[in-house]
Amino acid sequence: MPLTRYHFRQAVSAFFEMSSEGARAILPRHLEPLEVRHSRGVFAVTAFDFTDSMVGSYHEIVLAVISPPLMKGGAMPKSAFYPFMVGTSTREAREHAIQRWHLPHFMSDIGMDFDESSGQIKVKVFEADEPILDLTVTEHAWTEVDHLYQAFTIDESERFKADIHMKGRFTEHEEEKGEIVLHDHPMCEQILDADIESYPFRELWMKDGVQTFEELETI
Amino acid sequence: MKPSRQHAEKLVTDDDARPERVAPEPKKSATTGPRPKLSEYDFSNFFFGSGDDPFVMVDAFDDWWPDARAAGYYLFVGQPMLTPPVTRVDILEAKNYTKLSNLINFASYNYLGLSYREDIREAIIEATGKYGSGASGSPILSGTLDLHDELAEKVARFKRTEASLIFPSGYSANLGVIAGLMRSGDLVVTDQYAHASIVDGIILSKAKVRYFRHNVIGDLERKLREFPGKKLVIVEGVYSMDGDLAKLPEIVEVCRRHGARIMIDEAHSAFIFGKNGRGVAEHFGLEDEIDIHFGTFSKSLGGIGGYVAGSQKLINYLRGFARSRMFSCALPPGVVAGLLKALEIAQAEPELRVKLWDNVGVMSNLLKKSGVDIGSSASQVIPIMVRDDERVFQIAEELLHEGVYLNIVRYPAVGKHRSRFRISVTAAHSMADLEQGTEKIIRVLKRNGLCH
Repeated sequence: MPLTRYHFRQAVSAFFEMSSEGARAILPRHLEPLEVRHSRGVFAVTAFDFTDSMVGSYHEIVLAVISPPLMKGGAMPKSAFYPFMVGTSTREAREHAIQRWHLPHFMSDIGMDFDESSGQIKVKVFEADEPILDLTVTEHAWTEVDHLYQAFTIDESERFKADIHMKGRFTEHEEEKGEIVLHDHPMCEQILDADIESYPFRELWMKDGVQTFEELETI
Repeated sequence: MKPSRQHAEKLVTDDDARPERVAPEPKKSATTGPRPKLSEYDFSNFFFGSGDDPFVMVDAFDDWWPDARAAGYYLFVGQPMLTPPVTRVDILEAKNYTKLSNLINFASYNYLGLSYREDIREAIIEATGKYGSGASGSPILSGTLDLHDELAEKVARFKRTEASLIFPSGYSANLGVIAGLMRSGDLVVTDQYAHASIVDGIILSKAKVRYFRHNVIGDLERKLREFPGKKLVIVEGVYSMDGDLAKLPEIVEVCRRHGARIMIDEAHSAFIFGKNGRGVAEHFGLEDEIDIHFGTFSKSLGGIGGYVAGSQKLINYLRGFARSRMFSCALPPGVVAGLLKALEIAQAEPELRVKLWDNVGVMSNLLKKSGVDIGSSASQVIPIMVRDDERVFQIAEELLHEGVYLNIVRYPAVGKHRSRFRISVTAAHSMADLEQGTEKIIRVLKRNGLCH
């Protein structure tokens, strides 16, 4: 399978502390939560505004738990994550990601608004009139990067890893300026009792870049 | 061949020696991929990693480390100081193994300038002459000397508590107290900036832990609310990376309302804050509201060790359950004698604290006047915010070569891009030290666009 590329205008991400028990309850048995401090796992949210891909342009929200990367030689990833809930704005994008990457999805279309102004971006995620989550991320210095991540997925019988390269303009910091509001929506139900902090300990934001998936590996 | 320590010593003893630039051996990557790019990784990336070999992260770290060390991490490997931690020091710079002389020292936490005082040295020598080098036993078996009992008694008297317990280090004291008191199923709530020894004590205790946002009282209350069991709240008098104070009055009020016990870590505030130097609890007039007073001897008293002070029944209990004390050798007699003398001086010479606070005022004002961002410091610990994890190394190098020695604090010790320098002001600094030091710091910061 060739490399799969997704061009994006915005990739807005934030890491929040959550209880390690909550993280462990979400992760499959072969993965452990990465603890940012004792008994505190990491909940990661990433909101994408994709401009071009095999399935056209679409919006996507990814809810994930951070886990330690799998080290078996090769380049060292910046971090690794297990996406446990993905929402997309189009059926084509959803079917493509389920088929190709085994990503678990919310099966209805969602909507997303990206509102960027004066050093921050607010993302509203919703399904029709129902709010799902509101995310605010702020900027630090911008730089060009090409980062490697690992994504773990599963299906009924197998475990997978995908290496993902994120290339583009990037800013990152831990000034704790951002915010998340999780609404009582089915997309969030796995995490509403996971003691997630309302402010991110890390904010990451990429612009005008490309996300490249390498071939899926069975692990 | 890498320069060895022996090699480094040779350079120091030979004034004419030029630093030898040793080309690193071509290094084979331990992993099969490209070597990790320096700027994209830091220590935190090498902490976790799954795989089949326990050395998997050791190999990855080894790929990254040579470049990282050269780029600035050498500043963290422990650059040997060639003098006592006085206000002007010589160090062996760890990049090129050159001796740097007469640096203005803002790095040591010798807040009252006691570690090298003649009367303290004499006390140490005398006790070492009498008792020898070590206590040769656990404090609960043969390791307690009369000096240890005297120190515990005098610490308790100083802190105005019924009793105290002496530990071999501040780290072990926090471990011993927290793990000695709290159990699985209990709750410890602590500030998100709590020292590693507090966190490690909690881990060892197996108690449930909740961290509240730094000094945000509403969050502390939220974390305490509705927990039905035993609750202990741990805060620090002065936070060591920011130099700000715990909001103790509000914290005490919330703890009392929720039935939580309070422990205060006064590592950076004992012997400094309060009319009598008893710490931040005295500063706020709340000593009697605190259940457990913790402190160290390595900061203001210039020695080593830790103490816990409180009620007699608490100390009796901890004597039996603080394993980090029970299973460590007691402090060496020379150290204890030095601490006794230092404690005596700290109480008998309040002018040291007056001088310290004058110096803190001078330093803070000079920095602020030039637009230097010192965060929310309200103590002798003054951060200089750089907020750039890459440049902090380069600016630190410039400062070293300008003649200033201070601490670099970088991720993951603080948040990403919350990097800073940490200045420790002491009572021993002269006005010339402060003025010249600030002038040098400002010159370098200005060059780097960090002040006007």
